[in-house]
Amino acid sequence: MSEVLKQLYSDKYRGPAWLEAFNQQARSQCSELVLPGRKTENWKYTSLRALEMEQYQPLAEKPALVDHDLAHLSIPQLDSIDLVFINGYFEAALSSDLSMLPQGVEICLFSEASTTQQTIILQKLGGAIEQNKHLFACLNSAQLSDGLFVNIGKNCVLPKPLQIVHINTGIDQAYAVNQRLLLVAEQNSEATVVERFLTDDDGPAVFTNGVSEFYVEADARLSHYRLNMEQEEALHIGNISALMQRNAQLNSFSLGLGGKLKRLDLTVEYRGEGAEAKLNGVYLTQNQQHIDYHTCIEHAVAHCTTSEVFRGIVADSSKAVFNGRIHIHRDAQKTLAQLSNKNLLTSNKAEVDTKPELEIYADDVQCAHGATVAQLDDNSMHYLRTRGVSEAEARVMLSFAFINELINDIKLSAIADYLRPELVNMFSTDDGLKRHLL
Amino acid sequence: MSQEQIDQLITKDYAAGFVTDIESETLAPGLDEDVIRFISGKKNEPEWMLEWRLKAYRAWREMVEPEWAHVNYPKIDFDALSYYSAPKSMEDKPKSLDEVDPELLETYKKLGIPLHEQEMLAGVAVDAVFDSVSVATTFRGKLKDAGVIFCSISEAVHDYPELIKKYLGSVVPQKDNFYAALNSAVFSDGSFVYIPKGVRCPMELSTYFRINEQNTGQFERTLIIADEGSHVSYLEGCTAPMRDENQLHAAVVELVALDDANIKYSTVQNWYPGNAEGHGGIYNFVTKRGIAHTNARISWTQVETGSAITWKYPSCVLKGDNSVGEFYSVALTNNYQQADTGTKMIHLGKNTRSTIISKGISAGKSSNAYRGLVRMNPAAEGARNYTQCDSLLIGDKCAAHTFPYIESKNPSAVIEHEATTSKVSDDQLYLCLQRGIDTEKAVSMIVNGFCKEVFKELPMEFAVEAGKLLEVSLEGSVG
Amino acid sequence: MLSINNLHAKIDDKLILKELNLQVNAGEVHAIMGPNGSGKSTTGHVLSGRDGYEVVEGSVSFLGKNLLEMDTEERAREGLFLAFQYPVEIPGVSNMEFMKAAVDAVREHRGQEAIDAVSFLKKTREFCKAVNLDQNFLKRGVNEGFSGGEKKRNEILQMMLLEPKLCILDETDSGLDIDALQVVAEGVNSLRSPERSFLIVTHYQRLLDYIEPDFVHVLAGGKIVKSGDKSLALELEEKGYGWIEASLSGAA
Repeated sequence: MSEVLKQLYSDKYRGPAWLEAFNQQARSQCSELVLPGRKTENWKYTSLRALEMEQYQPLAEKPALVDHDLAHLSIPQLDSIDLVFINGYFEAALSSDLSMLPQGVEICLFSEASTTQQTIILQKLGGAIEQNKHLFACLNSAQLSDGLFVNIGKNCVLPKPLQIVHINTGIDQAYAVNQRLLLVAEQNSEATVVERFLTDDDGPAVFTNGVSEFYVEADARLSHYRLNMEQEEALHIGNISALMQRNAQLNSFSLGLGGKLKRLDLTVEYRGEGAEAKLNGVYLTQNQQHIDYHTCIEHAVAHCTTSEVFRGIVADSSKAVFNGRIHIHRDAQKTLAQLSNKNLLTSNKAEVDTKPELEIYADDVQCAHGATVAQLDDNSMHYLRTRGVSEAEARVMLSFAFINELINDIKLSAIADYLRPELVNMFSTDDGLKRHLL
Repeated sequence: MSQEQIDQLITKDYAAGFVTDIESETLAPGLDEDVIRFISGKKNEPEWMLEWRLKAYRAWREMVEPEWAHVNYPKIDFDALSYYSAPKSMEDKPKSLDEVDPELLETYKKLGIPLHEQEMLAGVAVDAVFDSVSVATTFRGKLKDAGVIFCSISEAVHDYPELIKKYLGSVVPQKDNFYAALNSAVFSDGSFVYIPKGVRCPMELSTYFRINEQNTGQFERTLIIADEGSHVSYLEGCTAPMRDENQLHAAVVELVALDDANIKYSTVQNWYPGNAEGHGGIYNFVTKRGIAHTNARISWTQVETGSAITWKYPSCVLKGDNSVGEFYSVALTNNYQQADTGTKMIHLGKNTRSTIISKGISAGKSSNAYRGLVRMNPAAEGARNYTQCDSLLIGDKCAAHTFPYIESKNPSAVIEHEATTSKVSDDQLYLCLQRGIDTEKAVSMIVNGFCKEVFKELPMEFAVEAGKLLEVSLEGSVG
Repeated sequence: MLSINNLHAKIDDKLILKELNLQVNAGEVHAIMGPNGSGKSTTGHVLSGRDGYEVVEGSVSFLGKNLLEMDTEERAREGLFLAFQYPVEIPGVSNMEFMKAAVDAVREHRGQEAIDAVSFLKKTREFCKAVNLDQNFLKRGVNEGFSGGEKKRNEILQMMLLEPKLCILDETDSGLDIDALQVVAEGVNSLRSPERSFLIVTHYQRLLDYIEPDFVHVLAGGKIVKSGDKSLALELEEKGYGWIEASLSGAA
């Protein structure tokens, strides 16, 4: 293990005994992996230097409940089952009462899992993610002490969206959060899950190493929102992966605001025919921020459909990286896969690195990808100006429009309504320029 | 398409696969400084050239083979290769074509490249390279009248040392990559072109590379300098005999387009691709790059049908304002061929423009990857790139990949990249059959249509040849 | 209203308008006709201030002010409206947002009170009906996925909302069927008033059957080579543009 890894690794805080073997296995895998550098293809454009700047270690004990008013962090109009984690620890006082869950829906912490639940967790945990490829997922498993387990039973429908909020607050030391979610949507079930990552205004020195695994069984339908809206001091490396069985459906939306180090890996693997995934994403970076989205779609079987659209606006001295891989295996005939990545570069100090990849081993497929890096469209600017709209306002309107197409596509209107003003504010502080957008 | 149809793919002969029976002087396998001294000595090179080679060799020894390309092959034993081979009859440096060994002339004639000027296409001057040496360069007189220098690079080292010292390695530095370093150390021959200021080269220039000897590597080096305001169109062709062993070809091509100059570089690459079981064939590891100065244009057109493995990225460094880079490529792989090819467009100057049109065709059990880089540097104000990568798959055992790297650091630059994948559809075939066109012809028509955008960039004689070549390479790929 | 004097303009170093002169008084309808490439559309773009169109000589005054000194949006706010030949699609900005932004900007410039959302919506719906455009189009992205005819009607809708002083219609009739043509013409006719002028750029005479011009000009080679009343349009329809070109070269 390299020095940095050793620093990030801690076994001083142990999980339940039944997880020990799982930890142990990951630990031995970890020791064989090395910290990726510039020469590692998957980390070519993203430096891990920020990890070396502080001693990020998990907090040894649960912090006292902060007295901050967290009300402004909630999403108005969103009627949801809420689970709140503060600095990595579950906060029951801020969370919904889980005793009222409908039959067939199970939500629990690993540390409180029944023996039946423990069996399922051990069976599934780590199965949706290739730990030998994802160092940080491996690290997460090695020191996993607790996590969240969600099981939606066969034919069950989660009555409200499940909102999992991770709030990290500024305290007098740097710390790490080892976030883990395991969700199983059994056959023909339906669920909406919102994962939100926030920080308070104190700009905490926190490194979140997250892993979320989704098992979407046959005919199940999962909507997933991943909103990474932390302040820029927060570091985040997240692995999100979904295993899709026959006719399963995944509708995913990602939002990423930049930070010192932000890296999200989204993996979808089709294991059953007829499955479909729609992945949309928006990223906005400013100042010196950085964000890196790596998506990977594994078409291992025939007759599956992927549609993926990611858009980013990259401002100031920030940098955005997008890598969209679509891998069509030998047997994946009749695959339909489309990927589009568009970027607006708004400053001469900003940088965009994008790489849409197609790897195809089957001939009867329809695949296409496109990527652009450009500025606002001259024709649109001109059109708005011939209608009397000022150049400054036109700029704000068109920048927002660039991502608004994806916001408009969000199924959960409460989330779209919550995000619009948050995002518009990033384009201008002048209310006059935003007045026609909200 | 049925398995049976696919299997028929293997039946085709490689027309250029014959061996010339000629006595050659071939250096024993292995590479050390003495070998480099030997090569340099054979060519009677000045000391500075030897030093340049040795510097490259020492750098190469510290380098490792790149492994990032999407190709698989057993590790090459660089000590098992011979780094120099030349027909004995070339020992005395024939002064004119009449003195050239008739066996050699016959070889080129069989390949469709007659070296006697009266038999040639009137508009094309040829430099013929056989294993490690240049056999003949035609039409020198006519070119000289226009001030154009067209000769083997060995001659240029003697006759134009100032140009060589100034430009050799200026585009592809000795340490650029593993194979470029190896080439810099051991390059044996190749072509040299200089077009003076304001001159429009009166004819197409062409080099024809032939590997003949067994277990030899071919390491040619081409340098083209187009001085201010000049124009040149250059063609490159290559073939090799059918042999069971793999042979290494590691060339370097450097293009320098000074202000307002225009270089068009076309390649029809038909190295022996190996047999249907994947035995033999050329490993083609080539570095090609050009620098375009202000208002200059560099255009690469390639039709790649040969080689067991192709590793090749003809690139443009768009250094001067308003310079233009173009890359038009057809890469066809069949049987067990593997190609990892594409381009790099490095935009440094203002209002630089680049266009990339890549057509990949995979058949049999082959693998065909496009790998490209488009980079907009901070100063590339108003730069533009358009990239279109299309893949066509024939049969369900082949693979097609697209790996475009897009890097932008300038907000006024615009980059557009699109890629699609398609197959020869049953509907298309059915329509053709119903109209009385047989399957093979139909596939060939469809493939030719697929490649049309690239073929129209080729000089006329080559376009016809390229179309035929595709037909031959595909023959048997469908029933 | 509009006075164009000795206007020379170029795009990409190519001189398109050469010595263009035109006077438009309040309340007048002028039609500009001419063969392809004569500079018809360029005239509209130069007047509206499109980037890339460079005026090299001459002057344009609009309501007594120097038009060429104004930014594109300033010209629009002063009352110059260009109905595009190819209206631009702007996905992500709703038609409603777009039109409200435009109306607010123009009203503010004129010192008028901002229109409240309810009255604006009412007015917009009313005009929608007038141009026979379903109200659903207000929610969609600007021109996004609209048919050719719908885009043109959307242009007229904007024209009605913005109440301009000078309306330039750039080949608004191209690609329209006869029904859509009538709708467009009715929209234009409803706006005709003694204070408002129109410049109708068209290749064909048929739009002029519905919008009767006071003057017809023939543009060729970047300047007006012939002017007359509406009978000139009929004559052009009958004889084609070759006739004009022939008579010109004959004269030269």
